[in-house]
Amino acid sequence: MAKKHKISLSEEELIRALRNREKIAAEALYDMYSASLYGVISRIVVDTAIAEDVLQDTFVKIWNSFAGYSAEKGRLFTWMVNIARNLAIDKIRSKDFKNQGKNQELENNVDFIDEQRNSVYKPELLGLKDLVDTLKPEQKSILDLVYFKGYTHVEAADELGVPLGTIKTRLRMAIVQLRKYFN
Amino acid sequence: MEDIKAYIESGILELYVLGDVSHEEKLEVEAMAAKHPAIKAELEAIERSLQMYAEANAVEPAENLKGKILNSLVTNLADDRIFGVKQEDKPEAKIIPMQGDRRVTIYKYAFAACFVLLIVSVVALVNAYRQIDQSNNQIAALQSQNQKIANTVSLKDSEIGVLRDASFKMMHLAGMKKSPASALTVAWSPVNKKVWIDMATAKMPANDKDHQYQLWALVKGKPVDLGVFDADTTSKDMKEMKSVEYADAFAVTLEPRGGSPTPHLDDLMVMGK
Repeated sequence: MAKKHKISLSEEELIRALRNREKIAAEALYDMYSASLYGVISRIVVDTAIAEDVLQDTFVKIWNSFAGYSAEKGRLFTWMVNIARNLAIDKIRSKDFKNQGKNQELENNVDFIDEQRNSVYKPELLGLKDLVDTLKPEQKSILDLVYFKGYTHVEAADELGVPLGTIKTRLRMAIVQLRKYFN
Repeated sequence: MEDIKAYIESGILELYVLGDVSHEEKLEVEAMAAKHPAIKAELEAIERSLQMYAEANAVEPAENLKGKILNSLVTNLADDRIFGVKQEDKPEAKIIPMQGDRRVTIYKYAFAACFVLLIVSVVALVNAYRQIDQSNNQIAALQSQNQKIANTVSLKDSEIGVLRDASFKMMHLAGMKKSPASALTVAWSPVNKKVWIDMATAKMPANDKDHQYQLWALVKGKPVDLGVFDADTTSKDMKEMKSVEYADAFAVTLEPRGGSPTPHLDDLMVMGK
């Protein structure tokens, strides 16, 4: 990206730097993952100010509990996105948030956010339309519910009114489609 | 191998990556992945595709957020002894002077407050002292005035007593050869043995400071001293003299100040009976 110099490290280098708590690791972490994590957070928490708070909380938690991450158990991003998702869910389910009346029906969020933020999608991802077309509507809806809205598959089954087994199958097929697409 | 394929196709691995499994399921997946490379590879493929899906749906946060968040991490660094090496030299070096500063500031304000209080107190004290002094002077003045009035009232009482008392005889002493114009009224009560002279009606030439007038009673031909007085034209009072029980006549002579044991008849001013 031409507009700004961003730090990028390999995942191994980043993990090593994070372990040593080097200052450059914090910056690299932010440059490499803030947009992807914010994409998840801002689909769960619609209010921008609160979503930004959650993003900050996410980085603080990643930074402080990095000792809890084990590379053997999975990718760094998987660990981080689960932290971000859990913090975002905690936020919208907190009494505080509900009292502010800022919560919206979860199922409206993804479309709402996407309508609002189409313009900020990365230019190199012009193929996003293809990506969306790759997924069948029922695959996309279940994947987005679980990945971007923080539903458990049990809640998603309830929401969509389909059996648990079907949910699991559709979710798997959606991800299989993604794998094919990205490969 | 059939088991592994079925396990993969059950969808549990996707749920594991999404963090949507129970603790037992999580341990089970991790155990299976450790045991079977195929499962580990499958997990990695799922993770990679979901990461790319997230990247495809990325939303750039506001630009000013980066500084804020990095600052909060760096602050955290300092708090959590992160930069361990540098932390060890004098960990509290920055805290001590700050506390000192604050204390000095507090003392500064406290001292200033005390000083202001002191000045205010001194001013108030001086004022109060002045007022008390003034009041004391006033009280003294009033007391002396009061005393004067009391004396006057008591004198006037006595004077009125003389006039009311029928036993008093008014005797008009007339001027003699040395001073024919002189006159003096003497009130004498043989019953009370009291003698008063009336200064209001006295006509005596002014005496100098070396001399005084002396009143005498002639008792069976002998002069008896009844005391001295000055010719005071401003006085409107009566003056009580020494007492005498019996007198044939009264006379006034001019004598040296303080009076004489016997009268100098050359200076006989007035006489009468």
